[in-house]
Amino acid sequence: MIWQLDISVLSLIVLCAFATIMVKDLLSAAIIFGAYSFLMCLLWTEMGAVDVAFTEASVGAGVSTILFIAAAYQTTRIVKPRKSGRILAKILGLAAAIVMGLVLLAAETNFPGFADPGSPASRHLSPYYITHTLSDTAVPNMVTSVLADYRGFDTMFETAVIFAAGLAVIAILRRFKHTGRCELPETYSISAGYQDTIIRFISRQLVPFMQLFALYVVAHGHHSPGGGFQGGVILGASFILLAISYDLKLVMNRLNEKWNILLGNIGVLIYASIGFICLLMGANFLDYSVLSKILPATDPVMARSHGMLGIEIGVAIAVMAIVVTIYLNLASHGKLDKGL
Amino acid sequence: MDSFFIGIGVALCFLMLLTLHRAIHGPTAIDRIMGVNVVGTKTTILLVIIGTIYHRVDMFVDIALAYALLNFIVTIAASRYFQHHKNLSPRGYGYRFRREDD
Amino acid sequence: MDIVVIMLTVAGVFLFFATTVGILRFPDFYSRMHAAGKGDTLSSLLMLLPLVLYNFHELNLANLLLAMKILLIGVFIFMASPTATHAIVDAGFEAGAKPWVKKPEEEA
Repeated sequence: MIWQLDISVLSLIVLCAFATIMVKDLLSAAIIFGAYSFLMCLLWTEMGAVDVAFTEASVGAGVSTILFIAAAYQTTRIVKPRKSGRILAKILGLAAAIVMGLVLLAAETNFPGFADPGSPASRHLSPYYITHTLSDTAVPNMVTSVLADYRGFDTMFETAVIFAAGLAVIAILRRFKHTGRCELPETYSISAGYQDTIIRFISRQLVPFMQLFALYVVAHGHHSPGGGFQGGVILGASFILLAISYDLKLVMNRLNEKWNILLGNIGVLIYASIGFICLLMGANFLDYSVLSKILPATDPVMARSHGMLGIEIGVAIAVMAIVVTIYLNLASHGKLDKGL
Repeated sequence: MDSFFIGIGVALCFLMLLTLHRAIHGPTAIDRIMGVNVVGTKTTILLVIIGTIYHRVDMFVDIALAYALLNFIVTIAASRYFQHHKNLSPRGYGYRFRREDD
Repeated sequence: MDIVVIMLTVAGVFLFFATTVGILRFPDFYSRMHAAGKGDTLSSLLMLLPLVLYNFHELNLANLLLAMKILLIGVFIFMASPTATHAIVDAGFEAGAKPWVKKPEEEA
């Protein structure tokens, strides 16, 4: 913990947060929010939480900003004007917020202190994970082992939640040409894909390396910061780069709607089926040590490491498909023909 | 050497503060895109410097590479916005659907 | 070795300081973009090089791999940052940013 860097980055973050609220333009607010996310990732890194920083960088600073820009592209940049007056409502709102804050502060005094070594979490749980990770699972990265092995149920439902988010976006936004009911005012014709040789060339050169790097992040999650989520988001971001520098048709030729939903399904299915195979072999759900009976030449400890790799691959496939689906639906307002 | 790198980090943060002034106060949206691009590139450098201070650079290099990638993608996406909406600052107040010249 | 690292890092920070002064003080979007694009890329490269050299305190395979990874970041910034600059300037031109024109001096 370097307190000098802590204070400087925190002041930048507070400045960005104020600026996001007070700028009177939705596109600029989205972009400054991207800068806020970049600096937040820096703060996580400085605290030593590199996995969280990686996820914040890929999801928050990368994909979220692009989704905001795509939403501003299809709707408007104008902010509602501030109504003056209504003083009583504002005072009541402020009083409610202060009362809620005081209630939370009063409840917080019952918690153990910040980073207290005598708290129950630091006395029973953390020393067990720290001392037993390498001998139980042969994986040096403690975050990955807690995420994928000791707390594997939570990660499975997180993946299911990501899949449900993709389904929600499709349910809300997707429209086909022959339904005449919800006709929003159509925009004038969106021009054909912007053709710029430099950007197209650089994107074409960079996308294979991006995908290779994403696969490296997924496979190397056992030894360095990374894992399934981060690799999946970078894979999805590579497809978004193709969609931005060419047009949506190129990405739709490679990953059309049917394949997107299918891959999202397959990702969650891989995760759950590994758990079911463990159930069939006579152990608990998601207990990977019994996989050593079907995998050749592994002992129960290495089988847990291989099981973790299997579910990380499932998570990466699901996250990639869902990120591409959400971007395609947002950028083209549901029609999937041309967009940002 | 550690205190030297901490000093370099604080200097970079101060210079990023000055760039953020352009990102917040820039009269048009395109100035803000430029400011955020510069902030993103410098954050990549700051990540590797933090790794050097902690004496474990191998953990932080992967994050720095992902950062540089995503900074590039966000800048290209934000510039793509202006290919269609050729309007640097939004006009008028009020909430409405799109007009012709928005 | 430490002297080289210190000098290169200070040079990089000084170049970034010049970039910041350019971003704040130039009168026009296009000239600010000159400062931001060129100065930002060069100062990033100049600051990554001493971090590569600082790792070579002992020469073994892991450090060599690490040096190549940091150089990979450098190569990526060298390829991607000028492209991003080009994209921003193109967007500004399409959106109609006007160049700064010097006001004609009045006759005395």
